[in-house]
Amino acid sequence: MKVFLAFARQSFHSIAIYRFDFWLRVSTVLILMYSIRWVWVALYTQRPGAFGASLEQMITYGVLSMAIENLFYSFGVQYYMSQQVRSGAIDVDLLKPLDFHFHMLARNTGQMLFRLFIMILPAILCGYLFFGLRPPATPLAGFQFALALFIGYLVGFHLEFLLGSIALVTLDIHSIDWAFNALLRFFSGQLVPIWLFPGPLGTLASLLPFRALFATPLSIYTGLLNGEAIINAVGLQLFWLAALVLLSRWFWNRIQARIISQGG
Amino acid sequence: MIQVEHLTKEYKRVIRREGFLGSVRTLFSAQYETIPAVNDISFRIDEGELVGYIGPNGAGKSTSIKMLCGILVPTSGRIEVNGLIPHKERMKNTRQIGAVFGQKTQLWWDVPVIESLRLFRDIYKVPEAQYKHNLNLFNDLLDLHEFQNTPVRQLSLGQRLRADMAAALLHNPRLLFLDEPMIGVDVVAKERLRNFIQEINRDQKVTILLTTHDMVDIEKVCSRIMIIDHGHIVYDGSLAQIRNQYGKQRKLVVEFEEAVPDFSEPNAALVKSEGRKKWFAFNRFETSPSTLIANISSRYPILDLAVEEPEIEEIVRTIYQGKPGNARENGT
Amino acid sequence: MNAFQLYFRLIHISLLSRMQYRANFLVGLLGLIVWNLVNLGLIGILVTQFTSLKDWTLWELVFLYCLWILGHSLYALFFSHTDQMETYLIEGTFDQFLLRPASPLIQVLGREFQYLEIADALFALTGLGLAYTHLGLRWDGWHWGFFVIAVMSGAVIMFALNLLIACTAFWTGRSRGAAFVAGQFYGLVQWYPIEIFGKTFRVIVTGFLPVAFINYYPSLLLLNKLDRADSAWWLSLLSPLVALLLVGIVSGVWRLALNRYSSSGS
Repeated sequence: MKVFLAFARQSFHSIAIYRFDFWLRVSTVLILMYSIRWVWVALYTQRPGAFGASLEQMITYGVLSMAIENLFYSFGVQYYMSQQVRSGAIDVDLLKPLDFHFHMLARNTGQMLFRLFIMILPAILCGYLFFGLRPPATPLAGFQFALALFIGYLVGFHLEFLLGSIALVTLDIHSIDWAFNALLRFFSGQLVPIWLFPGPLGTLASLLPFRALFATPLSIYTGLLNGEAIINAVGLQLFWLAALVLLSRWFWNRIQARIISQGG
Repeated sequence: MIQVEHLTKEYKRVIRREGFLGSVRTLFSAQYETIPAVNDISFRIDEGELVGYIGPNGAGKSTSIKMLCGILVPTSGRIEVNGLIPHKERMKNTRQIGAVFGQKTQLWWDVPVIESLRLFRDIYKVPEAQYKHNLNLFNDLLDLHEFQNTPVRQLSLGQRLRADMAAALLHNPRLLFLDEPMIGVDVVAKERLRNFIQEINRDQKVTILLTTHDMVDIEKVCSRIMIIDHGHIVYDGSLAQIRNQYGKQRKLVVEFEEAVPDFSEPNAALVKSEGRKKWFAFNRFETSPSTLIANISSRYPILDLAVEEPEIEEIVRTIYQGKPGNARENGT
Repeated sequence: MNAFQLYFRLIHISLLSRMQYRANFLVGLLGLIVWNLVNLGLIGILVTQFTSLKDWTLWELVFLYCLWILGHSLYALFFSHTDQMETYLIEGTFDQFLLRPASPLIQVLGREFQYLEIADALFALTGLGLAYTHLGLRWDGWHWGFFVIAVMSGAVIMFALNLLIACTAFWTGRSRGAAFVAGQFYGLVQWYPIEIFGKTFRVIVTGFLPVAFINYYPSLLLLNKLDRADSAWWLSLLSPLVALLLVGIVSGVWRLALNRYSSSGS
């Protein structure tokens, strides 16, 4: 646990060095929150009945989805891994008396925590003040949202970790990452709520892990999911988390053995 | 060839503040500290010299080399390479220098070596006759023809380095930078590369600056060494000089006819004892070996003996550590 | 060797490199297919639920989107690897560029050649063709000429903007994050006709981050919507000028970036 905190803290501090990067992201989040509000207004006025929700709820959904954007893709685990293997520095990481998976999680979480306090919470505040982000449907929903978001974060991390591991085998991270991001944007419900998906596509979306990142927590927050539906949704999140953790560890152990035997 | 006067390079670094609030404050207003990577160094290298450039990691080696290549602009001081100021005339300077980096190849990874060489030929505008001549030279000295059609990623480390040497010398540069070129190379290949380096230095009068951590490279190849530490040149001279100046200690290795108990001599310290052998360290300015031998042989019968020169590595380590006494004897 | 010759030699060698990896080709193709399917899917969904957006019909939206993709694919074919600038800096590749008597910019641009983007271009052309037919458009010579110019301007604008973003790596050490958020921005803005956004936003994407010139303004002209939208008609013709202006700006920034690199190292 101490080790975890040590890495987290190290990651935490290193963000402050990249000031320009930080301010760039902050301004982008604001612009995106502003833009998405307009998109929803336009879509909603077009056909109010399409969403099964009020305009305020949709705006909250959209603006909040932009605000929490930076919770994910924090550290770019997949890029870190790819870079380390290419430069050979992966050996240093593997020699540490520390589980690599755990190590990566600690680093990622450090950055995430920093972003949470410095970017996400202020963004949510701005969203509330300027862009029409409403408070959670009920205080309980707010708490459940935070929980679901945390689980979503863990799911997102493991997806990236798995991606990084796969990329080590195929050697090319970029195309895979593009494809992954496209899938993520689509199935996570960040840009278009997944309950709008027609028939079979909607069913697929509700089963995949991607919704754990955005759709589930956001729906809980806006009150679009409640009662038993929440339990189902969170249950699915947890199921995917467990599956991804196991898959990540299994896959990574195999790759680690391969790296060690081949010498990088 | 190379003229460096009072060269200084300072970097600005963000000061890391402690704690959570510290990090937050850094986001809004960062404070910088100035770090001198290279601090007022001066030296001169004539054409045709083969100089070893050594120093601990972070001493300023790569910074100074980058400035010589024109990649980095100095904070102050004067630097001239064959009449050109590198950072002011970067492109022109690149035509007269070549570089081999041990850690990273210049060649394109997935294509045959010869493809990379062809492209370099065109980038550097090497006349066809010169190109052919150089290829023949490399075939002779580096066995280039053995692997020129192999993609770089399939080459052994030794082969890759040979290919990099060919690429670096293709345009007949006057000055060659070798940055740790022999890391991880086996002894046979090393010997071969060393010979190659000496040969082109001798035959083509290519000035060579060799950065290395391997003292054997230095001893075998270089006539002169420069030692840089914490941004300062702490030594600049020939190997013989450095041994004279700093290596006052010699070792007398005596093998006795049979194992004898440890003893000490005036003016000589017993530093090691193993079986029938004993190592005595003495200051060659204070004692002569013959006196020591006479004294020791009068105690016990000697079977064999040898006098060891001070190891460069040991000397350099002493210099790195900035030990007074030995290191400051005659000044630098 | 002049700039063009150098550039073509570089992509020739990069193409040779890529040919070595068949697995990568397949993965790359897969990635591209997925990306396009996803984007198509999103449009499809939006369109099944909303038959039109303000006064833009389905096929007009398809046209808008494909016009962007066409410009984007041309840009990406040659230059999409600029988001790897941070890697070139970290791994010392950029130092090697500076050691050669050749423009470091050309060497960066020539580093890779994403031939797979041709698939994207074909996809976009198909979409545009279908939209053209379904909308019953009839273009004369001027329109076709403008179309070609608009597409090329779009590609140049994307090139300039993305190079600007890549240059941030010289100051911040990172470019990938910025490239990612830019991608986000494009993803949101290029899809929708900007008239649905508020006035402030329209001013921003016209005057400051002129992405509207990539597909929106040219579309107004090409789709005969000039009288319907409440934008000045001459904006549609400005794309090439905007492209040139951005190229001028980015060459200045590139020079600054080089200066920065040579004074502060990595």
